[in-house]
Amino acid sequence: MTSPYAAAVAQGIWASGAELVGYVPSVGVAPVITALGRPDLVFPLSREEEAMGVIGALPLTGRFGAVVMQDNGFGNALTALTTFNVSYHLPLLIVANIRGGLGEYNSMIHSFSQHVPALLDRLGVRVFDLDRRSGPADWEDVVAEAGAHARMTFRPVVVLAQFWATDGKTA
Amino acid sequence: MRRIDALQVLVEGTADLPVVVTCAATSRELAAIADRPNHLYLLDSMGLAGSVATGVALGLAGSAIPRVVAIEGDGSLFMNPNVLATGGYLRPDKLLLVLLDNAVYGSTGDLPTYSARIDLGALAAAAGWSVRQAADPRTLRAEFAKALEPGGPAFLHVRIEPGNASGVPKLLEDPVVIGRRFRDWLASR
Ligand SMILES: [Mg+2]
Repeated sequence: MTSPYAAAVAQGIWASGAELVGYVPSVGVAPVITALGRPDLVFPLSREEEAMGVIGALPLTGRFGAVVMQDNGFGNALTALTTFNVSYHLPLLIVANIRGGLGEYNSMIHSFSQHVPALLDRLGVRVFDLDRRSGPADWEDVVAEAGAHARMTFRPVVVLAQFWATDGKTA
Repeated sequence: MRRIDALQVLVEGTADLPVVVTCAATSRELAAIADRPNHLYLLDSMGLAGSVATGVALGLAGSAIPRVVAIEGDGSLFMNPNVLATGGYLRPDKLLLVLLDNAVYGSTGDLPTYSARIDLGALAAAAGWSVRQAADPRTLRAEFAKALEPGGPAFLHVRIEPGNASGVPKLLEDPVVIGRRFRDWLASR
């Protein structure tokens, strides 16, 4: 059965106005990809910086897209994100699964992921957080509104979603 | 054939096509020949021209624009060779990547790339791109015209000599202006 949180993120992504979705695989992201469906519009990309270029270019054609990834992928993405998406004022919705928070079992991943919110803030990239303190309906709304925020501000916007300790604990 | 000679041929063939061009000397030399609104100069995103062109090609699927042209260098493509695998997997119908291969990092002191030992055209072919070659202006003109024919990702491997054109000014435009100009040009097609 699809996790209500994963389904909420997927519904929020479509409600955000995303026309194409690129993802970089992660065990936490997989239920969201399953819930998104539409393999004609949802496809894998090899690396996060590539996702910034491919999906980030869509607004140049009048379209809008979303990237689904996990937070340690921002290490790969930062140069592309800043020199392309941020510098050219291109709206993009990025939904990232948090690996650096409470409950994360993989000790070394904290070394990077713990600092992702501060790194993004330092770069001026707007971040909205989701965790167990709100339910699936709020997750869906925040993801959808983050897409609108990206278009309104002509910038990439990140949603950091902590699936751990929701029904995504097994992810 | 030097880079600027190859770019001269590409300028003649791309007046009505979107062109995504890699950073530094290649962008500068292209802008020095012709600074047109259909050019998207990537001022500092080394390795990203192929990815951005892939996104533009996906975004323009179903439009009347027949091809999206990426102009990339060998050093830059070696920095992000994933472009070849992703293009082969997604198969954007309109994508044409023109590789200007001088076997050196031409914007960073002419240090050698892997190109003397690794054939990027063969990598592209292995990933499923249709590959053509050129090493002089006449062949480039002819092969570029053939590569414009529709159907799947195309890769034009152009061997050039090292060396940057002299007296070419830096490209100091605001990237937001470059991007907006490109977007408006696309919207008007
Ligand atoms: Mg080179």
